[in-house]
Amino acid sequence: MKLRHLSLPLTLAFVATLLLPIASTPARAAGDTIVFGAAVSLTGRESKEGRLTQEGYDFWKDWINAHGGIKVGGKTYQVAIKYYDDEDNPQTSAKLVEKLISDDKVNFILGPYGSSASFTTAAVVERYKVPMVESNGAAETIFNQGYKYTFAVLAPARRYLEGIVDMATHMQPRAQTLALTSANDAFSQEVAQGTANFANAHGIKIVYQEKYPVTTTDVSTIISAIKAANPDMILNAGHLTDALLVHKGLKEQNVMAKIYGYSVGPDTPDFRDSLGKDANYVIGAAQWSTTAKYKGYPGFITSSAEYTKQFVAKYHHEPDYHNAESTAGCLAFQYAIEKAGSLDPQKVRDALANLDVVTFYGIIKFDSRGLNVFKPMVVNQIQSGKLVTVWPAGVAVAKPEYPAPVWARR
Amino acid sequence: MGLFLQDLVNGILAGGILAVVALGFSLVWGIMNIINLAHGAFIMLGAYITYQLFTSLHVDPFASIPISFAIMFAFGYVIQKYVINNVARAPVLTTFLLTFGLSLLLVNLALMIWSGDARAVTPTYAGSNFSVGPVTIPWAKLATLACALAITALMQLWLARSKLGRAIRATSMDIGAAQLSGVRVAQVYSIVYALGAGLGGAAGSLLSLSYSLNPSMGEPFIIKAFVCCVLGGLGSVEGALVGGLVYGIVESFGSQYIGTGYQDAVALVVLLIVLILRPTGIMGKATA
Amino acid sequence: MTKLGLGGITGSRQAFYVVLGLMAVLLFVPQMHNGYLENLFRGILMYGAMSLGWNLIGGYTGYVSFGNVVFFGLGAYTAATLSTHGIRNVGVAIALAVVIAVIFATLFGPPILRLKGHYFAIATLGLALATQEIVSNLDYFGGGTGLTVRQDQFFSLYYYVMWGICLVSLLATYAIARSKLGYALVAIRENEDAAAVLGINATRYKVLAWAISGTMAGAAGAVFAFANGFIDPETAFSVDNNIFPIVMALLGGVGTVAGPVAGALILTAINETLWSHFPKVHTIFFGAVIILVVLFLPRGLLYLFRTRLSPRIFLESLRAYRV
Repeated sequence: MKLRHLSLPLTLAFVATLLLPIASTPARAAGDTIVFGAAVSLTGRESKEGRLTQEGYDFWKDWINAHGGIKVGGKTYQVAIKYYDDEDNPQTSAKLVEKLISDDKVNFILGPYGSSASFTTAAVVERYKVPMVESNGAAETIFNQGYKYTFAVLAPARRYLEGIVDMATHMQPRAQTLALTSANDAFSQEVAQGTANFANAHGIKIVYQEKYPVTTTDVSTIISAIKAANPDMILNAGHLTDALLVHKGLKEQNVMAKIYGYSVGPDTPDFRDSLGKDANYVIGAAQWSTTAKYKGYPGFITSSAEYTKQFVAKYHHEPDYHNAESTAGCLAFQYAIEKAGSLDPQKVRDALANLDVVTFYGIIKFDSRGLNVFKPMVVNQIQSGKLVTVWPAGVAVAKPEYPAPVWARR
Repeated sequence: MGLFLQDLVNGILAGGILAVVALGFSLVWGIMNIINLAHGAFIMLGAYITYQLFTSLHVDPFASIPISFAIMFAFGYVIQKYVINNVARAPVLTTFLLTFGLSLLLVNLALMIWSGDARAVTPTYAGSNFSVGPVTIPWAKLATLACALAITALMQLWLARSKLGRAIRATSMDIGAAQLSGVRVAQVYSIVYALGAGLGGAAGSLLSLSYSLNPSMGEPFIIKAFVCCVLGGLGSVEGALVGGLVYGIVESFGSQYIGTGYQDAVALVVLLIVLILRPTGIMGKATA
Repeated sequence: MTKLGLGGITGSRQAFYVVLGLMAVLLFVPQMHNGYLENLFRGILMYGAMSLGWNLIGGYTGYVSFGNVVFFGLGAYTAATLSTHGIRNVGVAIALAVVIAVIFATLFGPPILRLKGHYFAIATLGLALATQEIVSNLDYFGGGTGLTVRQDQFFSLYYYVMWGICLVSLLATYAIARSKLGYALVAIRENEDAAAVLGINATRYKVLAWAISGTMAGAAGAVFAFANGFIDPETAFSVDNNIFPIVMALLGGVGTVAGPVAGALILTAINETLWSHFPKVHTIFFGAVIILVVLFLPRGLLYLFRTRLSPRIFLESLRAYRV
């Protein structure tokens, strides 16, 4: 056979073999290290949240390694985390988690950022029967699929804005009407649904409800419709970008309400920096705040204040709830592994299912579906440029400033 | 009634920016017959230039428009001369993929430099507004509309009066005749593409006041630009202006009465209606 | 100025046999028991089928569609919706996806295929975007949240089915290329008016080509839904799934039979290599790769194997198209 005839098949074969080394990157040694795998969005639209997640994971890893590691049976193990960047693409997250499990042979999986990625990775870990603890994907539908290997430490999406509505019903004059907007994605839709149910159950009338595409750049028509509906409360279930868009729009069209609340946004410094004094009086819901008063179980930092202090020393910025909940996810594994006394995935999974422990972040306990329905949300308000917890009374450090004054007087 | 009027005003305000977006797109398409899928990336870069100037050097966003125009003009010129020019006469598949690849490269470069975090340009006068009856008009958006109209008028004047402008119009009418008259077509193409990029950059600067910035912010504008051009009539400044304003209003009412989530569906319907009923557009001449 | 042709009707027969051989080898991937590799090669087969589909309307007929992902997405949603209602059989999902693709093409084909060149390309893009929007606003399809799909115990099933779809698409393309339909499509591509004069019903053949291309993408989409376990509007109608098949066809050779599959393999290899060596900047490099391929290899890589190699080949396109 002439050489010329072989050139094409040889080339294609060569190209195919290029793919093999990528697949078989050296499996990390078992030895004395427990390896966690995580596919997070380090680039892409949600890279900021992805990096916050990574910070939360790394903070725990460094702390635990400096304080003796995890005790399994009679032996202590160091911890390592292998990261891949899923580029904010859920298809890639699934692919990378599969790689982490089948190629890199990690012990356990720490969840990605975002609900879509959680959907796809939950399916993968279920197939391989490797436990995953999720810190950043609060969509409840993931947990209605009957998966046994996925757990989430955060309060479910539907509770996000309940606290704000609850607070509003206790204020004088009582808020009567609500305009509810939401981004069209799993998480935000669940938040909206839960908020609507809660509002209806507590006698608050929804005068406007609308959803918008996640990538929208213009919400003027929504703003003008809200203005026409003249609600007491304006709540938005979305993400930082749209929270900014909506709030700026409300100011531009001079829309007045007693309460402005956002599911995501007010807790991030970016929100306050971008809006300046227009951010005052805005209310946000959070899984955690630096002032939340919980007393944690020994084996890790026990108070929010101490966590905040050490976090600032390491990362030079205040931790926000993404950081804390990511650390909490790792804590779940830590306590479960120690309780199980083994690294066997099945035993650890069972230990996770039966976990019941209070941490600096709040209670970590999973219902039969793997969701932490036991943890409440806190309500924060931006007062004079600072974020303070105002509700519920047990964890609040200040009273809510209500109602919000006209825009010109902030 | 108040809601209707507010939506109308919002539509006109948004339409002004769309006109500038469409103008840059229309020039490149009408004169070079290239659909520049990287136009969105140029818009985005213009917005980030304004953002950077505002954050680092405290340059007022409106003042940054000419700077962003100039930078993107130069950028577009270089890109056309060394990259795009190689496919100046290529079929659709080639130009589409090339400009798409360019867009991918620029968007990811921006992602690397500025990260995906939402950025905002918030000068002190942001959000301030005044009311006329039931309608509230934000000052910044009104000024944006004024700028958009000014830019369109300037382009119209320049194309009609200047030597280079006449050369460009000649090239769009008949390349052979233009060459025979001494027009250097390669040079014209570079200028036109540069103009497209510059106008895209200016549009981005205008956008930065009203919208959040992120590296993918320019993507939705390509379809919109296309529809505005088809709606208004390809290859003319008035066409882009009319197309932009009309489409801005259509989008505003579409969002309100059909739903904010249906913008692309509305765009497609408008596109198909225009192409079937009046393919040359509102202001278009009856050339094939 | 010479217009570069798209290279024969079937390209090189040798290439076709080589690709068939490649397919035979790929049959053994699941035996390696490496989940990641299986995922990777299943992706190649998926994109191979989608690219073959695009090639039919974009390469043979010359109607460059920038929205064929709409079929993929509809196929994925078909499978996901069936799964939600308890029907989890892959075969049923594929069958229904194919039917829906044909209906969709028959409905939207006549008005949209009336447009040409840029207009057709953008109209198809608009169609894909509009469909994505509409699906994401309908709660029946899970809205923006998406739908989960229950996966079979025997997961490699999806690999084998995808393999089957790719093979069928490949053989179908070969058959069409050598049939009356194939010649009609090429005639339409080269000169639609002359073809009409010769008695070819352009509209009928164009819609047929688009419908067939849609069935390939739709079938691939249905299997993808199962393999991914989850479908939402952004995943089903993603820009990647829209553009990759086109670039792959270009890379392999537009208007050839073997090109799309070869292109799928090569582009995936390039993508994965870039990702593993330059993780932070891999998407930037990828954009550069597309630009380089378009500038220097517009006839595809396979063309290099049919002709005498010389540096001149790479500059051909530049010389032909520049001003």
